[in-house]
Amino acid sequence: MQIYKAPLRDMRFVLHELLDAKQLSKLPGYEEATADTIDTIIEEGAKFCQDKLLPLNRVGDEEGCTYENGVVRTPPGFKQAYNDFVGAGWQSISSDPNYGGQGLPALMNFVIEEMVCSTNIAFGVYPLLSRGAASLIERHGSDDIKETYLPHLADGSWSGTMCLTESQCGTDLGLIRTKAVPAGNGKYSISGSKIFISAGEHDLSENIIHLVLAKLPDAPEGVRGISLFLVPKLSVNGRGTAAEVGSRNGVACGSIEKKMGIHGSATCVINFDEAEGYLIGDPHKGLRCMFTMMNGARLGVGMQGLALGETAYQSATAYAKERRSGKSLTKGTKSADVADPIIVHPDVRNMLLTARAYNEGARALAYWTALQLDLSTHHPDAETRRDADEIVQLMTPVIKAFLTDRGFEAANLAVQVHGGHGYISEHGIEQLVRDARIAQLYEGTNGIQALDLVGRKLSLHTGRLLRHFFHPATEFVETNQETEELKDLVLPLAKALEKLQQATLVIAQKGLGDPEEAAAVATDYLKMFGLVAVGYMWLLMAEKAVAKAADANGDARFYANKLKTAQFYMHKLLPDASAAFLRIMTGKYAAAQFNEEDF
Amino acid sequence: MAINKVAVIGAGLMGGGIAAHVANAGTDVILLDIVPEGAKKRSQLALDSVERLLKTEPAPFMDKKNAKRIACGNIEDDLKLLADADWIIEAVIEKLEIKHEIYRLINKVRKPGSIVSSNTSTIPCSDLMRGMDESFQRDFLITHFFNPPRYMRLLEIVKGEKTSDDAVYTVSEFSDMNLGKGVVACKDTPGFIANRIGTFWIQAAVVEAFKGTVTIEEADAAIGRALGIPKTGIFGLMDLVGIDLMPLVGKSLYDAVPMDDAYRAIYSEPEQIKSMIAEGLIGRKGKGGFYRLNNEDGKKTKQVIDLATGAYSTAQRPTPASVRAAGKSPRALFEHGDAVSDFAWQVMSQTLVYATELIPEIAQDVVAVDKAMTLGYAWKHGPFELIDRIGASWFTERLKTEGRNIPALLASAAEKGGFYRVEGGRLQYLSTDDEYVTVKRAPGILLLSDIKRAGEPITRNGSASLWDIGSGVACLEFHTKMNAIDPDVLNMLSKSVEIVSRDYKALVLHNEGTNYSVGVNLGLALFAANVAAWQVMEDMIKRGQDVFKELKFAPFPVVGAPSGMALGGGCESLLHCDAVQAHAESYIGLVEVGVGLIPGWGGCKELLVRGLTGKRGGIFGGGAMPVISKLFQTIGLAKVSRSAAQAFGYGYLREGDRITFNRDRLLADARDYALELAENYQTPEPQEIKLPGNSARVALMMAVRGLAKTRKATPHDLTVVEQLGIVLTGGKTDTTEALCEDDISALERKALATLAKNPLTLARMEHMLETGKPLRN
Repeated sequence: MQIYKAPLRDMRFVLHELLDAKQLSKLPGYEEATADTIDTIIEEGAKFCQDKLLPLNRVGDEEGCTYENGVVRTPPGFKQAYNDFVGAGWQSISSDPNYGGQGLPALMNFVIEEMVCSTNIAFGVYPLLSRGAASLIERHGSDDIKETYLPHLADGSWSGTMCLTESQCGTDLGLIRTKAVPAGNGKYSISGSKIFISAGEHDLSENIIHLVLAKLPDAPEGVRGISLFLVPKLSVNGRGTAAEVGSRNGVACGSIEKKMGIHGSATCVINFDEAEGYLIGDPHKGLRCMFTMMNGARLGVGMQGLALGETAYQSATAYAKERRSGKSLTKGTKSADVADPIIVHPDVRNMLLTARAYNEGARALAYWTALQLDLSTHHPDAETRRDADEIVQLMTPVIKAFLTDRGFEAANLAVQVHGGHGYISEHGIEQLVRDARIAQLYEGTNGIQALDLVGRKLSLHTGRLLRHFFHPATEFVETNQETEELKDLVLPLAKALEKLQQATLVIAQKGLGDPEEAAAVATDYLKMFGLVAVGYMWLLMAEKAVAKAADANGDARFYANKLKTAQFYMHKLLPDASAAFLRIMTGKYAAAQFNEEDF
Repeated sequence: MAINKVAVIGAGLMGGGIAAHVANAGTDVILLDIVPEGAKKRSQLALDSVERLLKTEPAPFMDKKNAKRIACGNIEDDLKLLADADWIIEAVIEKLEIKHEIYRLINKVRKPGSIVSSNTSTIPCSDLMRGMDESFQRDFLITHFFNPPRYMRLLEIVKGEKTSDDAVYTVSEFSDMNLGKGVVACKDTPGFIANRIGTFWIQAAVVEAFKGTVTIEEADAAIGRALGIPKTGIFGLMDLVGIDLMPLVGKSLYDAVPMDDAYRAIYSEPEQIKSMIAEGLIGRKGKGGFYRLNNEDGKKTKQVIDLATGAYSTAQRPTPASVRAAGKSPRALFEHGDAVSDFAWQVMSQTLVYATELIPEIAQDVVAVDKAMTLGYAWKHGPFELIDRIGASWFTERLKTEGRNIPALLASAAEKGGFYRVEGGRLQYLSTDDEYVTVKRAPGILLLSDIKRAGEPITRNGSASLWDIGSGVACLEFHTKMNAIDPDVLNMLSKSVEIVSRDYKALVLHNEGTNYSVGVNLGLALFAANVAAWQVMEDMIKRGQDVFKELKFAPFPVVGAPSGMALGGGCESLLHCDAVQAHAESYIGLVEVGVGLIPGWGGCKELLVRGLTGKRGGIFGGGAMPVISKLFQTIGLAKVSRSAAQAFGYGYLREGDRITFNRDRLLADARDYALELAENYQTPEPQEIKLPGNSARVALMMAVRGLAKTRKATPHDLTVVEQLGIVLTGGKTDTTEALCEDDISALERKALATLAKNPLTLARMEHMLETGKPLRN
């Protein structure tokens, strides 16, 4: 059975004790983000998700979305849940307050997103895309567009999508064929067909705002010739709060996909037939704008990985405590006809702790990155903003890929803990595997994330982005190598960090001469980076836990468990970094020696 | 005959520049011009010229004190001075009657057998000699320098019918050895070689650009990197030279070339250019040209003219698709097919065909033409080398499909596979007899490129190679980007010491790059710093110190032979050599402070040891401070010498180091020097020095804090030079303690370890890598 109770204690630990999230309330515009507000929001959010979204998760999977004559219906209960969701203001917590948003830190949105996706990832797709569309319009839209569209996206009456993929191209967007022709009055006529459009058509909102990549008639070839257009499903009359939906625009849903998981999320073919649209940003510079949305979405997808990992861990733990089979090898019951709960078995514990140690470490890494995102937009000092932004740039591919890989791994382990029952649909555990799988694919496959990390993020400003991670991590390790309570944890990380430095230098050097050398080890490198980054988070958490353990009162067990989990991470999970390191050092040779005919 | 004194008549741009460069060569010069009306001083023009030369950038003098070698005068009072001159160079206005007038004056006073030459670029030798007496005709020739005379290596020499071989030989020899020129013997044809082709090329570009398919910036981007042509392009070049000269040069060539010459067919005088000249828009020396720097609100923006409207707008830096796709491949540029590609094809195909048609009219062989265009117009490849890069047969085929005329020599090159080939390790060119002939080098010219063509290196890795250059001498060549020193260069240096110890008599450090070495690979260092790989950095510094130490104490002589920039680690490699044979155009300096570091591969150590020991040793008993303080300034201000001569003043070169003016002779000179040192060679002894320690550093820093107060030094400058101060004063030492060389090396490492962790230093390194300029933070 899917079990989920929002891990509020752990969230508060990360938010308050590790990150001191109330520091955000000192930033102009974020004054309301006090510790109390933060706690209230996550508690209310937890209730909503547990009470309204979790119960819909199974039915959403079983019933899925349906398509008939261009109309898409979401699973039963979704519409009501959506109305409740937007009605309670969850859609707009970190949206621009000038346009109906609540203007709270993006960090809060991350926490909410985690809980939403833990309880119902398919549902979570809809608000994620609306939020992404809104942030793109906030950054790149004209005042007119902002006034007309943002309030409706904030109150959820309209929702958003991003339309990039076409049947002939996904990653390689230079090949898109959708056309945009100037139609006078600053409007454009958009024609073409997009596939894999999440939330492309549904019955949750009154209107759907598509953000569409297309080519103008005079567009240069390739990725330098892509423009971005806003295309509403229903045309919009008037502007600002007076904006009203009018007649149907030339936008139609051709079909929806049958797919492995997230059945409650409508994945649509969207056809544009001389649809009326508006240019966002400069002509031919649309990809840059779209990256605002994609980067946000990549972080959001990373949160989906963590979210499912958490549900998987909780469900598997509950089952392992309950299910009796076999006997403990040391201290189990003596009675011949009663078995021990399977949690006594070392192998089961290893599986549970693997999921847990990754989840808690990933949560710290993700929230830390989200905090940087807020600093990058709201800090008064330009240099702090730049540094924070660079951390976000560096960590985006790591969060997206590493967290979704670990989330999938956790879901898979949950099935394993359940044994054969995990494979049976009725228990709802196999759904987690199917749902988790998509996060490794969309918003740029994890392979693409790895290329982004080694090909782009590493080399930017001769490695300046890396400085924001390596310098504090190295300093922490150097400072705490002799700290009595920490040194057992510091030593393994120090070694892994040194190897990561070495691997980074080797990739940078080899990659200069032969980009394939870097590409061939990109996935290994991203994994290694993720392992070390999460390991560093574990050190920071352990430091706090040691400090708090002394006067912990009722929380002593929480801090003790933190330290134990840190130990588990350092000794059972971090060693994977060594294997990744060895693979990186091998370089491209092992695979490159095959010719295409050899396959 | 030896040339011991030179006279230059005409103190204009060219005359002055020639005089300055002759002075650079260590030869006394007499500079004469007319007596201007109403001037206070009768030699005002020559005096002004020298004054101007001292202020000009890039500097015509290699060292300001060279100006003292120029004696200024006027042609009314000082003609008698010419009696002393072995070579008299006329560089007056391009008017035949005036030149004849001058020659008659000269002829009255010059000593028998002295040589007279004209720097004309447009008047035929035969016209200049007409009517002059026999002896004058025997002693007369044209020596056509290019502007600026110090830096442009081409010298075109044209002999008249009666000119003696001796005169030609003497001037050629002096120009080659003493002035460092690449001498090209030309026929007495209009524009000689370089300007004949260059003027056609510019005209072709103007005609094509006025068709309006490309903008000025696109045109300059097109005629650029893929073709190996300097990035100023054509319009940028016209701005530099002066647009007002274009019609004059163009018209004079038009009038002089044969009636059926292709130049006459493309010649025109565009109205737009006429009106630009009328408005004073004549280029950099005027108020703007095709480009101008617009100064608005204190911000300088580069603007460009619209050929159609004459209006200026902000210059874009376009990288047209074809230029981007082409990279360094001229054929890829031509094949691309966009407007810019077509423009480049039209301009270059006409020019290259024209150059081919001119053989043998203007030069006996393609080698002379290629040499003239590379040395005179700074093309990386001469016209025929360029055709070979394009592919002679591809080039010819395309001309054929366009129905254009194919000169016979080109057809032959296309058939045989090119204008050049390598046969038996030797470079050969296609002669007008339709046969390949080996390119001959004059005695005393040794090119590493020839050695490389002839065989394999003794050993090599990705960053450096060791070559056998004959006579038992090996040459270590760096070949990284900008010849930066990376771990593999160090490995090869170390390996070279081992190999040369065993198998050779001496080692020369030399390469044929534009720059000898720009120092440590900064990108690698910054990357290591960004990932906090401190141990890796420390190892890299230690490795450099160790390898340079091996070099210094090797059992054989090492001679550094730099040309161009030798900065940072590049400079430090020279400081560890037994001697340096430097090209006159060597720009040497320890520039680490500019990127927030200090010299760490023994730069501080070697300069200290040089300053405090050896011939000047013993001055320490109270006299160390002046040495330290001078080094503190030199390194602290990241001083770079503007010539080899200047490097002596900074201590980067020392007594015994030598200078070669002609780059092509550098390697041979270095090899000879190395062999000279190899006779009874003794490995130097490690030195001990005494340094004053803390109190001296405090004193040094006091002076710098003063600079900081007046904002001449930034806060981070203070941090950096504080570390420099620690090293140069010996750290925690005092005068009673003797420090060995390794002690100073350890101080260098410690200072660098501190600085490398400083974010302000990292910002400086990054800024240098991204902009090529130092960051003042």
